[in-house]
Amino acid sequence: MSVVNYGTREITCKIVYYGPGRSGKTTNLQHVYSQLPEERKGKMVSLATETDRTLFFDFLPLDLGTISGFATRFQLYTVPGQVYYAATRKLVLQGVDGVVFVADSQSRQLEENIESLQDLHSNLAEEGFDPRTLPLVMQYNKRDLPAAEISSLEELDETLNFRGVPHFSASAINGGGVFETLRSIASLVLSRLSAPAAKES
Amino acid sequence: MATEPKKEETDEGEGGEFAEFLADVSQEIAQRVESLGGGPKPRAEEKKKTPVVADAGLIAEWPNIADRIIEEMR
Repeated sequence: MSVVNYGTREITCKIVYYGPGRSGKTTNLQHVYSQLPEERKGKMVSLATETDRTLFFDFLPLDLGTISGFATRFQLYTVPGQVYYAATRKLVLQGVDGVVFVADSQSRQLEENIESLQDLHSNLAEEGFDPRTLPLVMQYNKRDLPAAEISSLEELDETLNFRGVPHFSASAINGGGVFETLRSIASLVLSRLSAPAAKES
Repeated sequence: MATEPKKEETDEGEGGEFAEFLADVSQEIAQRVESLGGGPKPRAEEKKKTPVVADAGLIAEWPNIADRIIEEMR
């Protein structure tokens, strides 16, 4: 859980981009990275296969500088979407503060979206999170594709967004909707910021 | 309802979208920190729970990462 650490004057939040393979999770992070001013650009760690598919995960540390006296960091992760990397997805979810579910809008990918969402809920539960309350936003990506190839926003929302969480239409390849999505999940996560328990052994 | 994707504006100025994001987030954090008051007394040293990446780009402080990667590779 994200915590305001008064001892070290730090706020650190972990956000994971989840979704089926090739839905655009890495593209989201790449766009965020491309928009960072030079002085804030750290290292984006990306472990990809020869075909550019995420092998283990991507990691983008987002150093927001000192805000209200607190060194503030967002850590953005993606998970590998392919079904056979289940253990990695579970590992990346450890300590998560918020999830962006990146759905592929292509009609033929609807089943993959559903399976990935079920996988997310299952993994969250196994990691001890309540999937019904963890900050979550939906991003319906690839809206730039021809209308004949993609599901309507209504259909996607009806099928995937049963929690009624904030949702965004996006074209991550062009940068559309990427920061709107990030802003929304950041807001949800920050609204749950708490001070650490005062107990100390 | 979903918002329409905002197309990227070319040469808008580096950090334009990020700057807007940072402004929003800063405001929220300021409000949140204020609402939490002074918080508990500072503690001397506290371990970070989240994984970090060292300057060299190597993943550090992630227990059992090697074991998990090996598990994936099987």
